[in-house]
This record gives sequence, C-alpha cells and structure tokens, in this order.
Amino acid sequence: MTRTDQPAATGADRERKRGGAGMAAGPKPGRAALGWLASNEAGLLMITLLFVLLFSQLTAGFTSLFNLYALTRVLAIDAVIGFSMMVVLVTGGLNLAAGAIGVCGAMAAGWFMQALGLPVWLALPLALCVGALLGALNGALTVWMDVHSFVVTLATMSIFFGTMILLTEARAFSDLPPGYVALAKTRYGFWSGLLVVTAIVGVLLWLLFHRTTLGRQILIAGANPRAAAMSGVPAGLTVIVCHALSGGLAALAGLMLTSRNGAALPSMAGQLGMDWLLPAFLAPILGGTLLTGGTVSVAGTFLGAALVTVLTNGLLQLQVGEFWIQAFLGAILLIAVALDRLRAVWIERRRVR
Amino acid sequence: MTEQSSGREPVLAIDGATKRFPGVLALDHAGIDLHPGSIHALLGENGAGKSTLIKIITGVHGADEGEMRLDGAPAAFQNPRDSIHAGIAAVHQERNLVPRLSVAENILLERMHTRFGLIDYAALNREAARIMATLGLDIDPRRPVRDLSVAQMQLVEIAKGLSVDARVLLLDEPTASITPHETGTLFRLLRDLRDEGVAIMFVSHKLEEVLDLCDTVTVLRDGQNACRSEPMQGLGRAELVQYMIGRKETFVTGRQRKPQGAPLLELNDVSTDLGHHGISFDLRPGETVGLYGLVGAGRTELAHAIVGAARITGGSLRIDGEEERPRDIGHTLRQHRIGYVSEDRKGEGLVLMHSIRTNIAVTIWQRIAGRLGWLTPATEKRAVLPFVEKLEIRAPSVDQPVGLLSGGNQQKVSVAKWLAAEARLLIIDEPTVGVDIQTKAYLHELIHDLVEQGTAVLLISSDMPEMLALADRIVVMHEFTVTGEVPNDGSSGEVSGAIMRCIHAEGEEVA
Repeated sequence: MTRTDQPAATGADRERKRGGAGMAAGPKPGRAALGWLASNEAGLLMITLLFVLLFSQLTAGFTSLFNLYALTRVLAIDAVIGFSMMVVLVTGGLNLAAGAIGVCGAMAAGWFMQALGLPVWLALPLALCVGALLGALNGALTVWMDVHSFVVTLATMSIFFGTMILLTEARAFSDLPPGYVALAKTRYGFWSGLLVVTAIVGVLLWLLFHRTTLGRQILIAGANPRAAAMSGVPAGLTVIVCHALSGGLAALAGLMLTSRNGAALPSMAGQLGMDWLLPAFLAPILGGTLLTGGTVSVAGTFLGAALVTVLTNGLLQLQVGEFWIQAFLGAILLIAVALDRLRAVWIERRRVR
Repeated sequence: MTEQSSGREPVLAIDGATKRFPGVLALDHAGIDLHPGSIHALLGENGAGKSTLIKIITGVHGADEGEMRLDGAPAAFQNPRDSIHAGIAAVHQERNLVPRLSVAENILLERMHTRFGLIDYAALNREAARIMATLGLDIDPRRPVRDLSVAQMQLVEIAKGLSVDARVLLLDEPTASITPHETGTLFRLLRDLRDEGVAIMFVSHKLEEVLDLCDTVTVLRDGQNACRSEPMQGLGRAELVQYMIGRKETFVTGRQRKPQGAPLLELNDVSTDLGHHGISFDLRPGETVGLYGLVGAGRTELAHAIVGAARITGGSLRIDGEEERPRDIGHTLRQHRIGYVSEDRKGEGLVLMHSIRTNIAVTIWQRIAGRLGWLTPATEKRAVLPFVEKLEIRAPSVDQPVGLLSGGNQQKVSVAKWLAAEARLLIIDEPTVGVDIQTKAYLHELIHDLVEQGTAVLLISSDMPEMLALADRIVVMHEFTVTGEVPNDGSSGEVSGAIMRCIHAEGEEVA
C-alpha cells in the first residue's frame, strides 16, 4: 500500500496521455499548479483582475477606499446569495424561491427582534432556521411529488412571499438593535467585515462538499441519482438537505442585507424576491458549477460573484444606466450558460470511447 | 449449402458478413439467403448476432467485411431509407412508433398523403384502415398510439412494416407480446404474402412457431453460421436447440463445490409490484446460483426487489433465516451486506463523471468516515487502493473519472465497489456484456474465487457458456416467474437442453 499520489499506474499509457491535463469534473484537491492555471477559477480570477485594472484606469472613483469598501460589502452578500443557489444546482435542481426565502428570513428576524424583543444572538439563528425550514419544504415537495424543483420553487416563491406580505402587512421593521445594524459597518481597511461571514460560510461549504460523507453523498446523488441510490446513498434525503441548506443561506444573505440597510424591508429583494435571481444564478454558473448537477466549486462561485460585483460597480462608476447593467448581466449569464453547455459536451466527449 | 425447393435465385443473399464493435466480434463471416416465396427463420441465442445481421440488411450498420447481393447484384445500403427504397421492410424488436401521433400517422409516416401541401387526413385514415383490415385489426386509425396496449402497438408496428408492399420483409420477434389469436392472424397473413412471392425473414425465440411457420432456417451462434439456409423439413426442436447452443466445450471449473450451512437467501413464492409471481429458490454461502432467461424475463427486476429497489408484495423472503422486506438499498447493503452489480453500468452502476476513488468508496463511506462524517481523500485512497490493485484496474490515478476508462475497467470498478463493501451476497447482472475477452476470463476467475471464499453469488446472465462455467444450479425464469431449476453437473449439452426446455415449455409442467 502506498500513500503517494500516483497509485496503480499499471501500464495503460493511452489512458495516461489523455488523462494528463485534466480539469475534468470531480473534486481534485491535489491538482498541480499548472492544472490550476488552466482551471475555470483561475480564468475567472484573471478576468476579474483585468476589469479591476480597467476600471481603475477609466474612473477615478473606482479605487477610492470607500468604493472598495462598498464593493466588498455587496460582494459579501451576493456571494452568499450565489452559494444559496449553488447548493441546489449541485442536485441538478434550482431554487427560484431563494429571494423570497431571503426576505422571509430577514422579516422573521426583524419580527423576532422588534416585536418579540428577542436578543440578537437568539433572533438571528432562529431566522436562519426559518429559512432552512422553508427550504426543506421545497426539497420535500420536490422529492415527494417527484417533479423538478423549478415548478416547486416557482410556486413556493409566490406562496412564501405572499404569506410574508400578509403577515407583515408589508411594513418594515426599522427599529432594530444597534449592535446588529453595526455588524454590516465593520470595516478592516477597505474590506467590509461582512466578508468574514462570507469567508467562514465558504470554508464550511468547501469542507462539507470535499471532506464529509454527507457532502460527497450530495455530489454523487447530484451526478447520477439512480446510481447513487443503487449504491445505498439516500438520494432523496440529499435533495431535501440541499434545499434546506439553500434556504438557510438565503436567510443569511437576507440578514446581512438587513444589517446593511438598517431595516428589514419587504421590498429589499424586489417583487417576489426576484431581484436576487440574476446574481444567484450568475455566481455559480460563472464559477463552473454544472447545471446538470454533481459538481461544485465554492471558490468559483465566490469569484463569479466578485466578477459580477466588479462589473456592476465599475459600470455604475462609468455612469452607465442601471437598466443597461441589468441587460449586460443578462447577456453575461447567457454566455456563461453557453460555456457551461460546451463544457458539459466536452466532458461527455472525453467520456465516450 | 442446400438448394431451395423452388429453385429460384435468392432475392437477397449475404456472404461473409463480419461486424466488429469495440471489444466484440458481433458477426463473424455470417451468411444467409432469402428466397422469394419462402419464410426463413433466423435463430440464435441472445447476442448471437441476429439483430446485427438485420441492421446490416436494413442499412442501420455497415458491415466491416462481406457482400450483400440483391437480385444477384452487389448492394450496400448507407441508411434505412436506401433499404426501404430497395423494397426491404423491417419490423424491429424495439418500438419505433411515435406515441403522440395517431395510428394512421404512424403506419404511413413515410408516405403521408398530401393535398395542396396539407395532409389529407381522410385519405390517410382510409388507407391505414385498409392496411389494418388485412391484419384483421380493428383499431380506430385516429387513436394516438400511446393509448394502445403493448400487443396493439406491436400489431401496428407490423401493419407499418406490411404497408410498404415490400419484396423482403424482416420480422424481429414480432410475436413477443401478442396473444395466440393475434399470432394466428399474423401467420395467415404471412403465408398469404409468401404465396404472393414475398421473401420473409422471421426471428423468434418461440421454436414451436418457427417449426410451424418457416420452411428454411439459419442459425447464428457467436456471430457465425451454425447452419445456413437449411430446409426446415427433417429438423425438429432438438436439432434447432443443438444448433443454437452448440457443442463448444466450456471450461467448467470445480463443479464439486459443496456449499455448507443454512441458506443466506431464501425466496418462497415471492411476488413483487413489478409483476413477479411464484418466485422460489434459495442461495447458500459458497454457492453460485444462476438466473437464466430471455431478455425481459424479469431477472434484473427480481434483483432490484431483493436489494430493496422494488417492493415485494407477497410470499416470503428470508435473509439468514429471518423474514425480511427489503425497503431501503442502504439498509440492505449495510445490514446484510448484499451488493448488486448492475447490468446498466452507465445508468445505475457507476457515476461516470466522478473518480474511481469515489465510485468504489461510495459503498463504504459510512464505515471509513470519522466523527461527524469526516472523510479525507487520503482515507478513501487507502481503503480503495487494495481493490484497485487486486482487480488490476488500469488508470493513471484513482482520481481519474470513471467515464474515461475502458468498458472492461469500468466493469472492474463496478465490481470493486462491492468487494470493498465486503458483500456476503453478490448479485451480478450480465457481468461480461461489452467486456473484452481477457477481462471476461478475469471476471469469471474472480467470481469463482469469491465463491470459493464463501461469498454467495446470484448470477444473472444471458450468456449460456458463462452460465455453465460459473453456476452450481441454474434457476430458469420466464415471464416474471420461475419455470424450473436445473443443477449444473458440467455436461453442457444436457444442461442447456434442459434450460431451453424450461423456457420453451410455455407454461407446461417441467421438472
């Protein structure tokens, strides 16, 4: 038994030649530096840095400390929104209700703190639980009804949002504890303190998917639910877990946004929470999470969110209108999806002999 | 080569047809001669090359070698359209109907009647009704095909094949799912067509039908002619079975196994929600029981029921003598250490986009993980490597996606995951389909060794020599029930004969 990185290399030169520069699917922690440079994540990082350089030359305001602070604060929140979609894309599904759940979580937190007077340390975890429960409901419905999560979350998006408006009478909770509101104002140099939260979440997600049995089961069930089930993996359960996780992450993003706004607003993610959908899909898809499920890239999702945030911020600095930016981001999503298809086809090709 | 009774030239003749698929020689210099006014039986075991031959005739596949002559002139079809133009019609085994379209649209799909560029549905339906009437078929031509029964679909498929006024008509198992009455109607029609001078090729596993209907027979075995265009006269079912199975010696190893101990698995009059009924057999440690039957006999489905992927609705299933109703595959695996090597490697056996490491370790994650399910690649690698080495899985690294491996290596991975799981009972479904000859021999040896070491193996295979080489006893299944059990004493001829009798008994009592 060996513990080196090249085991069982018994002949098969043909295989070796092909397998070499593999940015093929699947977790591959021991990837060589050269391989990493060819990876999706490295590409994203370089494009993002390129735009940072470009915008810093084109506008004076882009590199100002305050702008960078504002930018990282948006990034912190958008990355969590991206994570929330990423964890269901892994199952081959999606969560249209992410925004609605995010707002529900935020409003629940506002109610806990303002109406019930619960302390922050209790109110926030409870709000996360509300999000996770709503997400778990999505997952359970998807599994029990055996329909695509598209249909389920399209329906629950309206149900969750509508119920929330009914319960709150569309009123904001603006009398929040100062300690909670101050969280979003923490600042290290030009870094927003919210990035710490995002980083912790990112590391935990990475550990989940690459270092725990549960995460591995989620990935394998996402790649091929039938094969996973025939190997004794509870495939249905992994779908429910992922949706619950997605709900919890959406609620977390809602809490971060509430802290930034200083109030829990029913309108903070637009009608039905749909303003979140574009950033939610953009980050993971740019980051290389396949829409067909079975792969995940936490770093990629973060970098995808970074690219989107830099672009939005930079274009705003250039006085490009808000609506043009929306159209631009939509175009980027299309390109990313096209690349995703190409990649999937490419992986498929490599697979066929 | 015998002379055809009519003495006429064959309308279609094939000589030396050879077709290779990766790792498999599907046809090996096979030949057949189809004469006008004759019904020609094409027989052979599953995988003998019948379907490949039909696909060469209809232009679906091109032959690697060999010659096809149409009316004595060399011909080669690039695609199915060419063969239809040449007057060759085929009724394929697999359904080729469009479920949402009507019966008439399906029958006349290739030749829609149009008026002013629009489909003339009145004429279409009239024409379809006329064609169906010749078959004694009374189905509303406007009904969508998806509303029909399986038997009706098969009849529509036949009607479609008959609609083109072909000179050569190929029928691949047309009677697999229709009633005796409908079969009778079909046979009358085929005899009429024969008398009109059509050359008909008829593929069926039902030997009685073949003996009743056909006047000439070609048998394929392992892609070669066991006989070519022989007159049926003077041949009986025994001779046909012998042609199909052959007398090729099989290296039967260590048949003197004496499994000791109580049965690990006992099925008693089991029925399932998939339609099984009256399934009874048992399996002891250190024993291989084979499940033999035709494709569609319900063997894979039975395996699913045993591991808990389908529901058992009646009878009793005992594991170690304890009554059990498998519900959950994970439970079956961890509690009883029962593993299932699927026949459908790509669909349910392996996750192609994931690594060798993941695919093998998936069955043992729970066992090798630390607290809170903590699992590192190094732990996995350590657990997986012995099996990668033992099975000689060829790959540059265990991190290689399984989809990049050859078929043989993929099959080794799908076996390795259950070896890693230390399965006491291994259900192995068609272990050597699409696997090269060397790996096949290796896998046979491996199964043999496992059984020697006390593993119980339930082997599902349509490959008769494989069955004879590996199984101690052979349980024969037909139409979702057990029709007999044959001990394998190593005398291949008698055993395979007994098996064929069980299958073709068609409900009669068999020993």
